[in-house]
Amino acid sequence: MDKIELLSPAGDLERLKVTLLYGADAVYIGGEKYSLRANANNFTLDEIREGCQFAHALGKRVHLTLNIVFHNEDMGEVEEYIGQVVDAGIDAFIVSDPFIISYIKSNYPQVEVHLSTQNSTSNYKAIEFFQKEGVDRVVLARELSKKQIAEIIQKVNVSIEVFIHGAMCTCFSGRCALSNYVTNRDANRGGCAQVCRFSFDTGEDKEFTMALKDMNMSRYIGDLIDIGVRSLKVEGRMRSLYYLATVIGTYREIIDRYYDHTLDEENMKVFQERLDRVANRETSTHYFMKEADYTDQYYSGRSEVSNQDYLGQVISCENGWIQFYERNYFEVGDVVELFTPRGDHLEFAVQELLDEDKNSVDVARHPDNIYYLKYETSIEIPEYSMIKVVRRKDEIV
Amino acid sequence: MKLLMEVSNKKDVYLNSCDGIILALEGFSVESTCYFSMEEIHDIVSHSDKEIFVKINKNFMNEEIDALKKVLLELSSYSIKGVFFYDLAVLELKTELDLSFDLVWAQTHMVNNYKTCNYYHSKGVEFALLGKEITLEEILEILQNSSITCMVEVISKPSVAFSKRKLITNYYQDLGKKAKDSLTIHEKMTDTNYQLREDTNGTNFFLDVVTNGTSILKPLYQAGCPYVIIREFGLEDNFEELLTDTYQYIQDQCMDDKYVEKYKKIGDSTNFFFRKTIYRVKKNG
Repeated sequence: MDKIELLSPAGDLERLKVTLLYGADAVYIGGEKYSLRANANNFTLDEIREGCQFAHALGKRVHLTLNIVFHNEDMGEVEEYIGQVVDAGIDAFIVSDPFIISYIKSNYPQVEVHLSTQNSTSNYKAIEFFQKEGVDRVVLARELSKKQIAEIIQKVNVSIEVFIHGAMCTCFSGRCALSNYVTNRDANRGGCAQVCRFSFDTGEDKEFTMALKDMNMSRYIGDLIDIGVRSLKVEGRMRSLYYLATVIGTYREIIDRYYDHTLDEENMKVFQERLDRVANRETSTHYFMKEADYTDQYYSGRSEVSNQDYLGQVISCENGWIQFYERNYFEVGDVVELFTPRGDHLEFAVQELLDEDKNSVDVARHPDNIYYLKYETSIEIPEYSMIKVVRRKDEIV
Repeated sequence: MKLLMEVSNKKDVYLNSCDGIILALEGFSVESTCYFSMEEIHDIVSHSDKEIFVKINKNFMNEEIDALKKVLLELSSYSIKGVFFYDLAVLELKTELDLSFDLVWAQTHMVNNYKTCNYYHSKGVEFALLGKEITLEEILEILQNSSITCMVEVISKPSVAFSKRKLITNYYQDLGKKAKDSLTIHEKMTDTNYQLREDTNGTNFFLDVVTNGTSILKPLYQAGCPYVIIREFGLEDNFEELLTDTYQYIQDQCMDDKYVEKYKKIGDSTNFFFRKTIYRVKKNG
């Protein structure tokens, strides 16, 4: 049986490489035009080409988002652009506009077309329409239950992709123009200002908010595999390298352990804790196991918490010294974890620390500076390994 | 140019000064403020000489498809002109069941370019209700380049969002108060109100400001726009007079400038007719 696909967001070339190395089977990226994250550092054609070469060398895939709601003026050059990105090597388009779907399938039948969640496809009958149009995969609406997803898979012979992790829209995707009205930024052309995370006056004692908790389906990966979902999608093309490495690495382990029958409550707790520590909001499974309700949202405005766990990204490792870019303050005595794209998680107390000029220091306090950390190991520490804090010195009893 | 109305008071469905009526089917439609049962729609179709369009524009779940089939088949036996749809299940069923009425592509914020309009026309969709977040210039370009029959909502409090969630119920639960089915929220930055209406399908968001498109009726008429729409919601007090005057203005080929002058009183918001949205706020790199 083919393993389910783990699909990662990648806002730039570095994220593409990191997420593939950390275990994603495929990435979805945005080009400089026609993507719903107009303000991400989207990919140039050369970067798309390089990203595809990198992915294909690993036997992995690149999906390109082309899922804005097109206006007349957007249509002028899109056909030429589609040809250019096909030449660059992309494996699939993620599209919401059926005219674009039919154009791609007519001209580039070798490239897959995936129906974007922007269409909020929520039933098998709508999928039958898109199947006839040649759609290879459908990214379902995020408002569906396990039972509804399973029923769709039973009734239609098309690959199904679902979101498993990350931020959620309050409204049906594509069915919200609040950003247009409140900020003049076009929600459906990549300018969404996330007005659903604003708070509003009502005249009552408390402001009205509708911001949702994030999605976290880590405990239901087995259910999704069992009902026949083909691809598990993580949200967040604009998220940090550390966040993506942790989330993708964790889901990689969950999926692999599920197939190997080694996923148990004990390691699930470890995975859950890892995911919880990089999250900046509480999480929920939303519609998957029940109708979404009161418990799935916030009632007090913006609720993100910043995370200082990420300490640095490894540059090299030689003679027992790890060279790294610092990201957050830490000091000798803190207990840290070194984790690698290969899935190693090495925990140790910081005993010696050198600054860029190799002077001994007690604290690393300058983000983006280079430091050296003493750590003797026989394990190879590859590029894009990362360091995070486990316990601060003053938390250790 | 024909004038369609969507009422917010059931008693107004028999107002005479229009060419057609849009009726939102209860349980099967969203983004409206007045819903009709199948029996009521049947009764209206039997007693009205107007073109009747029925709105069936919610996102359907698997378990609702059989019920959807049933109402579409029943509507096919009525003399209705068309069905406004959002979910592609409706288009698929229209073909599968060979239904008699025409379809109106009405994906609220998505009907924004002529190539996709032409695509839907090639799939047997006769009408398109254009999005309300595009400019007059874009509308005119669509009218000029599209083979589909276009509709433009010109006077209304526009629908701006729809959620499956019970957002008003949740808000009042948090407050520890009894829930209501509507709520006005105030956005501070733009000093603008939005009206929320909740029903069994979820929560509808309406801009609480009337879009006054009286000034664009003339260019639409001159461009050969086939249909324009007025919604009663928010204009209940003098709706009959507004409808009558608008109908007469169109009959007079939009030549009487006094009409536009008179209806400045309903507000000066022209929504996005003369204002482009932006979507990129910084350059790459």
